[in-house]
Amino acid sequence: MSQAELAAALGVSRQTIISIENGRYLPSLPLAFVIARFFDLTVDKMFDPDEEEAGT
Amino acid sequence: MMTFIRPRLRKPLLGGIAFLGIAAAWAIGSPAWGLAIVIAVVAVGQTVAWYTWAGADTDESALLASRADERQKQVGLRARALAGTVALAAAYTGLVITLAVKMADAWPFAALLAVAGFAYLLGLSSYGSGEPGPEGEVTAGHQTRSPASS
Repeated sequence: MSQAELAAALGVSRQTIISIENGRYLPSLPLAFVIARFFDLTVDKMFDPDEEEAGT
Repeated sequence: MMTFIRPRLRKPLLGGIAFLGIAAAWAIGSPAWGLAIVIAVVAVGQTVAWYTWAGADTDESALLASRADERQKQVGLRARALAGTVALAAAYTGLVITLAVKMADAWPFAALLAVAGFAYLLGLSSYGSGEPGPEGEVTAGHQTRSPASS
């Protein structure tokens, strides 16, 4: 899936998707829920900093 | 009224009207009123340029086209805050210089600072903290005390 397609599905801009991916922008709670719902995950799974560190 | 105008056209149109206001003021107040026509042409050109720019795929275009998402709105807000801070600094500098050089010309700068100060206080009261609740109590889904304060 392209960033543009994901952006359209989530109702945000492509630049915002890039910023979230790069860690330059933390989405608001409502947007975080939309993203989590889209990927069929829970918000804490998606934005758990410990898990991110373990993965790197 | 703005809801009848296409979102992409709103800000370019507002910018054009603002520019036309300057052209009208120039036509009324200046003996070289012919220059007002040039300003009016620039105003129309600016509206067209902004409208075209609003169609691009950038943060600035999204703000210009009134289709900004939450991050882009935050970017716009920060840019406005910076512009406001710089304008305040310019007004303060102007006030200090005019007070030193020609005191009678200082009042517009003082008025700018006063209006900005009043607007800041108005902003604090409008966008400030919510209703105060009983301290230390946490109700379902509503936290009345910040975890950081404990």
